[in-house]
Amino acid sequence: MHKLIISVVLLLLCQTCVFSADMTQIEKEQNIQQQISDIGTKLLNANKIDKRIVFAYDEAEKKALLKIDPAITSRQVILYDGDYKYIENEDELAAYLARKILIAFKSYDGIFNGYMGAFQLKAAPKKFELVADKRAVDFMVNAGYHPVGLITLIQKSCPQKRFDRFSSKNLTSKRLAHIYEYIYTKYPYYLANNPYFESEPYQNFLLTSIENRRMFEQKVKTGSKEEIEYE
Amino acid sequence: MNKIQTFLLSLFLLVMGASNSFAAEILNDNLVDTTLKDKNLQKPPVNKHYNYASTRRIPIRLAIIADIKSEKDITEGQTVVFRALNDIWHNRQPILKKDDLVQAKVETIIKSGMNGIPASIIFGDFKFDNIESSRVLDEYEKFGQDRSLWVYPMKWALTILPPSGSLTNFIKGGHAKLKTNEVIELYYYPDWN
Repeated sequence: MHKLIISVVLLLLCQTCVFSADMTQIEKEQNIQQQISDIGTKLLNANKIDKRIVFAYDEAEKKALLKIDPAITSRQVILYDGDYKYIENEDELAAYLARKILIAFKSYDGIFNGYMGAFQLKAAPKKFELVADKRAVDFMVNAGYHPVGLITLIQKSCPQKRFDRFSSKNLTSKRLAHIYEYIYTKYPYYLANNPYFESEPYQNFLLTSIENRRMFEQKVKTGSKEEIEYE
Repeated sequence: MNKIQTFLLSLFLLVMGASNSFAAEILNDNLVDTTLKDKNLQKPPVNKHYNYASTRRIPIRLAIIADIKSEKDITEGQTVVFRALNDIWHNRQPILKKDDLVQAKVETIIKSGMNGIPASIIFGDFKFDNIESSRVLDEYEKFGQDRSLWVYPMKWALTILPPSGSLTNFIKGGHAKLKTNEVIELYYYPDWN
């Protein structure tokens, strides 16, 4: 009889443990979801974006390669767990969401209720990758986030390919150089007042972008308006 | 005892030296140091307080004062000037008069792409003397000619004759132009906060 009672108690305890573990996981996801929704909607409101865009957290490690970005098809910005692990602060989270907001927002443009805009986004991903980076900087600044967070996030999370001539993506070093130039030109305040300056990712960006920054420095000194072919 | 003190002292100096050498390893950004550090830079405005309850809006019609022939003629962050095409009144007070000049910024330039995807110019940050920018939907995107509408059907039609369909990749979209006779319309929401 005693053995039976002990077995039942142990079974109940075990179930309680599993239940509490599930609750912890749900609470964790709820917290992340709330954080994403708060920052996402703040970006929309501060930038007066009058189109519906929603935000969601997905535990999946990374989106499937062949799956079309839901930001284009259903104007839903999804933050995957595989991307979330690189995000260390609100600026970086805002940077991630701001890039995706541009893609979702652009998919409203064009005829057939935005089908043509969405089609162009898919057809020219390399071009719109740079546009999304630049507009993300604007969205972040308007909402009060530090745009250098975009540089540190990309520096940590995006790998560097060998070539981009026949690729659908730009070299990460090229993207970072364009973002740096954009911030320098439009929001120099944030480079002069940069709390990320001594952080390891930003220092690593400075180290790995010496050649590109040297080219930009030359452009600033000569006052040239030519577009730089970053490496 | 002296040996212990000497050991601790040398250990301390070693650690200090190491930390100093670490501090010296921080890279500087020459461009920022030489061109931005001593300047009095203003923090860009942040749109923190908003109340979008009201739907009452007043259209503001503007035209640029000098032609922009192509997105190549301008740079991001450049200031451009528009002029008001009509008077704007609010509570029986004139807040914008016809021919008043309004400064705006070239926010982003999007170059034309392959397969006829057009270039575009995004204008924003319109500065009105008597209107707060938080009360204006003040972003305007001017697109070039969208040739993808006929390039894609042509590409698909040519797929039966490979590789002629791929040749349409080289058709670029139109340049973004803005002429002085083109009217752009923004909306002023007087009751927004």
